[in-house]
Amino acid sequence: MLELYHWEPNGYFLKPLIALEEKQVPFVSHWFDPTAFEQYGSEFPHSVEIALNLDREGPVLRHDGVQICGSYFMLEYIAEALPGLELYAADPVQRYTARAWGQRLAAIGADVCLLGSVRYLQPRFARGSAAHVESAVAKIEPLERRLAWRALLDGGYDERALAAVRDRLGFALQRIEAALVASHWLAGPTYSVADIDAFALIWTLPELVPELVNARSTPHILLFLERMHARSAVQRALGYSRSGRPQEAFVPGAEPSRWG
Amino acid sequence: MLKLYHWEPNANSGKPMLALAEKGVEYESHYLDLLGFDQHRPEYLAVNPDGTIPALVHEDRVFTESTPMMEYIDEAFAGPALRPKDPADRWRMRWWMRFFDAYFAPSLSMIGWSVFVGPSARQKDPKELAAAIERIPLPSRRVAWRKALFNEFSPDELEESRRRVQFAIGVLEAHLAGSPWMVGESYSLGDINGFNLAYALPLSQPDKCNDQTTPHIMEWLRRIYERPATRQTWAKGRTRLAARIDILERA
Repeated sequence: MLELYHWEPNGYFLKPLIALEEKQVPFVSHWFDPTAFEQYGSEFPHSVEIALNLDREGPVLRHDGVQICGSYFMLEYIAEALPGLELYAADPVQRYTARAWGQRLAAIGADVCLLGSVRYLQPRFARGSAAHVESAVAKIEPLERRLAWRALLDGGYDERALAAVRDRLGFALQRIEAALVASHWLAGPTYSVADIDAFALIWTLPELVPELVNARSTPHILLFLERMHARSAVQRALGYSRSGRPQEAFVPGAEPSRWG
Repeated sequence: MLKLYHWEPNANSGKPMLALAEKGVEYESHYLDLLGFDQHRPEYLAVNPDGTIPALVHEDRVFTESTPMMEYIDEAFAGPALRPKDPADRWRMRWWMRFFDAYFAPSLSMIGWSVFVGPSARQKDPKELAAAIERIPLPSRRVAWRKALFNEFSPDELEESRRRVQFAIGVLEAHLAGSPWMVGESYSLGDINGFNLAYALPLSQPDKCNDQTTPHIMEWLRRIYERPATRQTWAKGRTRLAARIDILERA
């Protein structure tokens, strides 16, 4: 039995939806709302790994009793454990390249989640946090997950901090752009989990940070996004949206580097 | 020809060193002095333009991310398998490696840089230090080095790192109480990764990691220390950093 607990198809939640649709394996979809803190409820899967998951808020895959979290490693699990389209090249060099992108994209994802949460989620909280939100956040463990929500509730990111995040993100995006000049796909000649990983994290950026992702600065990223949008698996994955605006669905993600 | 550019058998440099030793793979060793900024000199930037250590060069391909590098080593070379066969166990191994790399290590290294790397590097001429920082290619690494060299870690940042180290040691001890290795019954890259991070904990965090408080971590570290590949790898160390491993000698 294969079950996926997920939210709107964006960011970490979009990755396994694309991979499972690429594999064309049947699965049970459990849609939950992390902005209503349903992931802390008794019906949601629980484990040490899920509680300490460094993506903080993200999907959970349950496969024959095994609970998988951490969105990049979930992609690797889907690639290795399930039948269907190969999502990893056989060549060890390409596999290394995909994993190296997985590490770099984890940092990019942290910055994207932060910018998206500040843009779309923080205003909801700013309009007046209901007592039940304050109460739900106060109960979140571990501390790192609670503080990410707390920072949003308190409006804890000033323009200087956000400018630093955008600078860092701009530098990282130029590295993706450079890689896509050399190859249509990130990890080498063939489509792989690295492309799913990247698309899920950056497809919203032309709208979220148009000053960083646009036809002049990142033409190859825009072409990459077009190639990905053209895939039927990606279209089916985006079809899991209930809001019709998945590009505005953000919750706190991985913690940006504490080293600056 | 296989070449590895590395510093001491410690943290990121130690990961591929120990993985290669466990596989029994010979390599040409290029030692770089991290505190002498060898990694930012032109001859090394020609190998790895990011100026980070380690870098593995195999058949003209360059590999620079230490944890994926270990998986490459396991896939590309013969020798004992260092990853579980079962996909769920592989996922567990990767989960732990990310916990080490992205949670435990940044906090432990912030403490380490504040008490060791920064003070050691500050022995040099300040102008030379400033020039060395300017040569660092990655902006994020420039920020990190500046913080370490000029002691810019705030008391709050260091206190938070100490809290996280304490928390992570508790998580690791609880896990090893139920499992001899990071994943099940076999030694894996998860253990190699964790050992490189944790081998000196009994010395650097003696109140948090010791035979009374964390007996399972201590036994796990000693079992890894006693492996021939570990002895062989740490013998390549040149400084007191690597010599800290002696704390794991059984009484």
